[in-house]
Amino acid sequence: MKQECKDIRREILKISNASGHGHIPTCFSIVEIMYAVYGRMNHDPKNPHWEGRDIFLLSKGHASLGHYSVLAKFGYFDIERVYSFGNFMSDFGCHADRFKVPGAEASTGSLGHGIGIAVGIALAFKLKKQDRKVFVVIGDGESNEGTVWEAIMVAVNLNLNNLTIIYDNNMSHGRGLQITGPADRFKAFGCHVWEVNGHDLGQLEDEIDQQSENVKVIVANTVKGYGCKTLVENQYEWHRKSPGDEELEKLLRELDEETV
Amino acid sequence: MRKQFKNTIMDLSLTDENIVMILGDVSVYLFNEFNTKYPDRFYNMGICENTLISVAAGLGSQGLTPFVHTIAPFITERSFEQIKLDFCYNGFGGNIVSCGASFDYAWDGATHHCYTDLAILRLLPGMEVLQPGSQKELDILLRSRYNNGKPTYFRLSDHPHDIDAPVEFGKGCVIKDSGADLTVVTAGPVLGNVLEACKDLNVNLIYFNTIKPIDRKIISQFKNTKMLVIHDAFGLYEALCAIPDLTVSYHGLPDEFCSWYGTLHDIREKIGLDVKSIKATINSKL
Repeated sequence: MKQECKDIRREILKISNASGHGHIPTCFSIVEIMYAVYGRMNHDPKNPHWEGRDIFLLSKGHASLGHYSVLAKFGYFDIERVYSFGNFMSDFGCHADRFKVPGAEASTGSLGHGIGIAVGIALAFKLKKQDRKVFVVIGDGESNEGTVWEAIMVAVNLNLNNLTIIYDNNMSHGRGLQITGPADRFKAFGCHVWEVNGHDLGQLEDEIDQQSENVKVIVANTVKGYGCKTLVENQYEWHRKSPGDEELEKLLRELDEETV
Repeated sequence: MRKQFKNTIMDLSLTDENIVMILGDVSVYLFNEFNTKYPDRFYNMGICENTLISVAAGLGSQGLTPFVHTIAPFITERSFEQIKLDFCYNGFGGNIVSCGASFDYAWDGATHHCYTDLAILRLLPGMEVLQPGSQKELDILLRSRYNNGKPTYFRLSDHPHDIDAPVEFGKGCVIKDSGADLTVVTAGPVLGNVLEACKDLNVNLIYFNTIKPIDRKIISQFKNTKMLVIHDAFGLYEALCAIPDLTVSYHGLPDEFCSWYGTLHDIREKIGLDVKSIKATINSKL
């Protein structure tokens, strides 16, 4: 595991412990994905509204703590501010508010919304003849929502090859409505699809850089709670739980030892 | 009124390159001229109303001016959460223009009737809710509000009235001030029936084409009278109920599905919104 990604996970654990709020496993599954996107896309953390920037949207908005930790790592704000996570007057809620968080391009949280907004932004860039890209992370559980597939149909029909959808295949869908063979489904919808190990930065970066003739989908096979054995083996218990002090020490130790 | 919608859009587009039309497979032929002149900004995007709203919000986020246009129940009631979150909570601007509201599609039955749109959208922070009653009202209101950076709802009608009332966004107008104890309040195309019913009665009559923000000032002029809202939708009555110290009653939709077909006039007669029934209702309050 890359040290920066380990650092991001450490902050997620510590902030969850300090704040009493969680969603740790779903944050852990997309650390490398977000780190790779922000590492490759055009953006300026010191000027978040720079007009030439590419856009990243977290459609699975409940992984906001992971997003905040990545944004802080790239210099959008000091990670210390995120320790107020979920507090009454905090800028950093359990779902991001775009008016409060530098780098959050849309306020997401209700599943199946961010991808539609992303399609609109990608279309806007085409209309304005701007060479800018849009990246959106959707969850596999989120993809139970019909709007995800509506948005994909529209995007493919509009030939939005400036849109990259990264599908976090962390097996959340296994709890309920299952989406077997997601890569084939995206292909059937007309997307250009690449499938990668979602924790392999090199693979992610290679596919993020790929040119595509139509909507690009990266199916990122990930593990909820990746990095900590306890989280991976007890996903239901840890879905929204925050660790106490002793649990924090244990999870940090597991992370250091890369038990998964 | 749809033709007026198209004509106003065509005129605005002569100088505004940010207008983007997003249709839900409705009025496609009507907008052929726009499609021919501005093919890059015309999309018959699909019968997927939720996504039409989300995409429009994304376009609005980048400074474009989207118009989403399709049938009222599907773009408002079905897509309420997209309007609430993608437009209103995110603070992105754009326009939602519906057709077929209330009973314009009477013959299609209750699946195509829509009378809660004004009521639910007025609850959303940041939303502007307009019910133009005539072509002139639509033209003036559309020009004044379409690119103000806010989400704005325009409810078109295939049965506009032909009354020449003053038009200004956010302003009601007094159609009749008899110094009476009863003030009839109405909005939109049904003004035609309401005005005819009030003609020989000793009542005041106030008319609105902006449901949100409601014009409290004009209402306050009649606050010491009993108020009777006559409307073929919900929303106006609730807007008045939110104003303290008024005595307001409602005549309009029953608490049951209108499971009849026929024409708008058939439905209005059935639920008591024809001239004769309105007159009888007002008389019962006098």
